[in-house]
Amino acid sequence: MIARRLFLQGLSATAITAGLAPEISAQEAASQAETEAARQIAPSADSSPLRVGIIGPGSRGKELVRNLLRVPGVRIVAAADVYPPRFDQLNQVCGYTVPSHTDYRALLDRKDLDAIVVATPLGLHASHVIPALQSGRHVYGEKTMAYTVDQARDIAAAAKVSNRIYQVGHQYRYSPWIRAAIARVKAGEIGNVTHILGYWNRNNDWRRPVPTADPSGHLERLINWRLYHEWSLGLIAELGSHHMDIANWIFGSAPTTALASGSICCYHDGRETDDNVQVVLSYPAGRRFIFTSMTDNAKQGDQLWLYGTKGSLNVTLEDATFFYEPRQIVKAPTNGKGEEKGVTTSASYRPEGEMPYRGPGKPLTIANPEDATTIAIRAFVHCVRTNTQPIANADVGLGSALGVIHANQALREKKEVAIPLIST
Amino acid sequence: MVALRAALLSVLLTVPCVCANTPAPPIVHRFHQNHLAMGTEFTLDLYAPDQALASEVAAQAFDEIDRLEALLSNYRPASELSRIGREAAAHPVITDPETFHFLERSLFWSRESDGAFDITVGPVLRAWGFFFHSGRIPSSSELVALRPRVGWQHIHLDPGTRAVSFMTRQPMELDPGSIGKGFAIDAVIAILREQGITSAFLSAGNSTLYGLGAPPGAFGWPVHVPDPHHPGQPAATILLHDTSLSTGACTEKFFVHNGHRYCHIFDPRTLSPAEGMLQTSVIAPSATDSDALSTVVFVLDPQATRYLLEHTPETRALLFGQPPDHEACLAINWEGSPCTSAKPSPHKDLPL
Ligand SMILES: NC(=O)c1ccc[n+]([C@@H]2O[C@H](COP(=O)([O-])OP(=O)(O)OC[C@H]3O[C@@H](n4cnc5c(N)ncnc54)[C@H](O)[C@@H]3O)[C@@H](O)[C@H]2O)c1
Repeated sequence: MIARRLFLQGLSATAITAGLAPEISAQEAASQAETEAARQIAPSADSSPLRVGIIGPGSRGKELVRNLLRVPGVRIVAAADVYPPRFDQLNQVCGYTVPSHTDYRALLDRKDLDAIVVATPLGLHASHVIPALQSGRHVYGEKTMAYTVDQARDIAAAAKVSNRIYQVGHQYRYSPWIRAAIARVKAGEIGNVTHILGYWNRNNDWRRPVPTADPSGHLERLINWRLYHEWSLGLIAELGSHHMDIANWIFGSAPTTALASGSICCYHDGRETDDNVQVVLSYPAGRRFIFTSMTDNAKQGDQLWLYGTKGSLNVTLEDATFFYEPRQIVKAPTNGKGEEKGVTTSASYRPEGEMPYRGPGKPLTIANPEDATTIAIRAFVHCVRTNTQPIANADVGLGSALGVIHANQALREKKEVAIPLIST
Repeated sequence: MVALRAALLSVLLTVPCVCANTPAPPIVHRFHQNHLAMGTEFTLDLYAPDQALASEVAAQAFDEIDRLEALLSNYRPASELSRIGREAAAHPVITDPETFHFLERSLFWSRESDGAFDITVGPVLRAWGFFFHSGRIPSSSELVALRPRVGWQHIHLDPGTRAVSFMTRQPMELDPGSIGKGFAIDAVIAILREQGITSAFLSAGNSTLYGLGAPPGAFGWPVHVPDPHHPGQPAATILLHDTSLSTGACTEKFFVHNGHRYCHIFDPRTLSPAEGMLQTSVIAPSATDSDALSTVVFVLDPQATRYLLEHTPETRALLFGQPPDHEACLAINWEGSPCTSAKPSPHKDLPL
């Protein structure tokens, strides 16, 4: 179990200890990991030139480019996409014309690239990330790491063999408020966390418009790839993978089993992936992560709830709030003489006594609340420049991919699936 | 009674006709959706052949507004504008081209208006109690102390590197409130065009509006400009066709002290609420520009406004001021003559 427990702590303690003297304690390793993480997250004055190419400048790809252009020294020098309208959109984002290629291999053949961003549909990640690493470039690859476990392991192996940086698009690992909240959870603020509930609900059909006539249906499958099995693992991958990553981080382990269900409840429009899903992942010591997503009611939005023996933590896309369980009975000190000090009477109203009786909670406040993707991208550039292992490395990517892939298998097979202990 | 006037803003050379050899226009239906963002309610009306397409397009439109709110909001510490506000005092901050363009356009209007428009004015509004709905009149020493933290001229933009720096070395609050909604509308209109939508109307809380094309069979999207001197009566009705209109007014956010109305639109040069203007409406091809200009002309004196607009192509304005310092009604390049029947208000001060 030790291996599983230490597995996947972000810039994991195991990874740190591996390169150091064997007697280093897990605690020291964890604190070194924290120091290294802080270094990656901090802005840097380095503005040495870095030439980046992008494969798949779609909606996420463009957002990554916007963030890359906030890092001093970075220039986007080439793009590859099979859908030509993307090139104009990318030029708009960059403010200049980016040389374009309709085949990613032509991009890899260029001699003027240091790093590559891969933001293509999930089913294509491995087929773009692996050749990019093999071409000697560092890679920022979007989540979910890969469509199959074997592909995820091949990505990790390719990064190792080529000795290049691979960072996976789990940007919440870099979110200042999530990091600060999780540090407090790890320090015991809400006791022993036994359950994590993740909701990501929306109220729309998850489709994107297909702007031109499409008699063959080819464009529909390219633009709405999320709705078709060929390249997509559905809501579990697109939304659940982030929550699963955070659950792995908090539980300090990859999941051990997966149960899942789903259906097409609302949108009978020829799609193949479910429009609502429910997942239960088991972790060592009986702990559970539960994920639900529906697409016809957005009341709950995107939220993560951590339940511990002493309290709860609510994490949303932009803040974090702590709630505390009522205190257990404790032994009270007496003054020894048996004298009662007495109490002063007053009105009984206390705001935290209002329903719901846990009160409004204590919001987390932090000094430097930057956007998670802005930091993740800046940290990637830092890792490339300094040849450092990223916080969201292949282990992080694999951990979340294990949950996503096995939950999909459980959903398809309608039974609980054991998740093998696999590392990179 | 003020007569309704309809003025067609873009010259239509062809009038739709039903001819035997032209294909019949596709049947389209009107769809409508609301969305809360940027502290207001956006509404989108569009014509599309079916509900599925309309809902996908609307989802993209509102996603874009949410994306831009996350980029620009001064209420969100994680926004790019907040990051710049925090860090550009210590070192030049490199930003993305979109944010840089937003800042360039904001400073452009600051320069054009000699500082009547200024996105750094937030701390002054705060000192006047505008963020917590409890107005107060700050002392002049309090205002003077804010000087180093306010002033567009302290922002230095380097287009070569897209670096933003604050020359005073003090953090500044960059408040997109008087230009960001227009910026978002322009971005959404570009997406609607890309998606092949030819007829749509987008509104940010009715204060910034854009008419894309026209509703079927019409020449544009009708908009009524109210006459603040005669509540309930429109001063003009115009048709928006591929253009935008923004209105600034002191009717929603203000406080009254000793019978005087203090407006949330500020004159950054005096660090005090703008005086004398009641309502401004500006038409311009870009919603970013009309949004900014509706504030500019609220703050500038009418002569300066006339000079500025006469040197800004394709802009029109209809202004309502408070006599005797300002004209009761002033139309600049506005089609028709909306002011001739707008009588001066019988009251010296606006009815509150
Ligand atoms: N980290 C996050 O928060 C986050 C958010 C959104 C999306 N994503 C991930 O980003 C990835 C892309 O998602 P998206 O929403 O941008 O999708 P998208 O469809 O908008 O973009 C994908 C792009 O890849 C292009 N493409 C497809 N096949 C290609 C090929 N063979 N060669 C080159 N280009 C090809 C498409 O034409 C498109 O431009 C997905 O893996 C998704 O899960 C991550």
